[in-house]
Amino acid sequence: MLVTARLRPPDRMVEVADVRRVADLLARLEVLPGAVLVIRDGALLTSQDELRDGDQVEVRFAISGGG
Amino acid sequence: MAMRCKRCRGQAVMEVRRHNAAFCRDCYLHYVGQQVTRAIAKYRMLGHTDRVLVAVSGGKDSLALWDLLLELGYQADGLYLSLGIGAYSERSKAVCEEFAAARGARLLVHDLAAEHGYTIPEAAGGTGRSSCGVCGLSKRYVFNKAALDGGYDVVCTGHNLDDEAAVLFANTLRWETGAMARQFPVLEATRPGLVKKVKPLYRVAERETAAYCVLKGIDYVVEECPLVAGNTQMRHKETLNQMEEAAPGTKHSFLFGYLERAAGLLKVADDADLTECQRCGMTTQVPEDPAAEAVCAFCRSKARLVKTLPVVEVTSR
Repeated sequence: MLVTARLRPPDRMVEVADVRRVADLLARLEVLPGAVLVIRDGALLTSQDELRDGDQVEVRFAISGGG
Repeated sequence: MAMRCKRCRGQAVMEVRRHNAAFCRDCYLHYVGQQVTRAIAKYRMLGHTDRVLVAVSGGKDSLALWDLLLELGYQADGLYLSLGIGAYSERSKAVCEEFAAARGARLLVHDLAAEHGYTIPEAAGGTGRSSCGVCGLSKRYVFNKAALDGGYDVVCTGHNLDDEAAVLFANTLRWETGAMARQFPVLEATRPGLVKKVKPLYRVAERETAAYCVLKGIDYVVEECPLVAGNTQMRHKETLNQMEEAAPGTKHSFLFGYLERAAGLLKVADDADLTECQRCGMTTQVPEDPAAEAVCAFCRSKARLVKTLPVVEVTSR
């Protein structure tokens, strides 16, 4: 199975094979789950949600450096 | 197996590990509203008859805050300050205008270049301060002055739990006790010329404000400010997030423990005497040298910029 992840910011696309759950995807991308939201078709996913072959998800970083 | 909502046992969409909880959409929005309501009540931040000015940047925190305050029934107008950071500022302004128009809310727009003669990219190249330093100084000055001029009772900013933990971390590393003593969810208007400032999101993590925006359909500027890359606060946040991953609740304990048990001990460290800036009339610290002119940090920074920015000669024929 293959999942396409759009990571932003900055905007980049990555294809990841053989990941069953959101937690697996984030581990493969070496992204801290506490620093991002994962969005599929406009809906938020939790780390335990299952991914499907052909899924397109956004991995949105929620850290900003202003203030 | 899919996560279940802690309140209603429906399917969860958002996990909050520091509370060992997950929530469905409606219960999550309830949770965020509850955190903000508790913050406002604990520190008596706002009243329903107050005229409230929310500083908005177009980012997730300030728009979530404005939305929450409007939902909670406060008289909240927005204030956007254009910083002159090219397409980033243009997009930010448009997002704030669309947000306000969709809710019939009032948005004040100020422009740093038009009102004070410089943009943040120019300032970054023209003074000894970092671009984030000049930006923060400019925003604090303009927000306070706009609130005074507009007759507002209080300014709200979108500082969240992560912002506050990162600033406390930085100040602790350098033992900046004066700065630590001033870092509080409420800064009262202690003299004429100062407007009360509050941070109603200090109990909400930044991942949580982003989730609030996604679930409410709030279109915010996801792109990071192009001048912020690699700044100190980002590095401190990354360090804290590594610690949080290993031990959920670390940032919460660090900040809340400080506010509840240590901040009071440091209040004596913040004993600065205040006076009027002799150039703009706003409030500033009394200079250590009694013979020196009292000039606020904003006017000093602006004076340095005026010297360093290129001067365009205008000649008449």
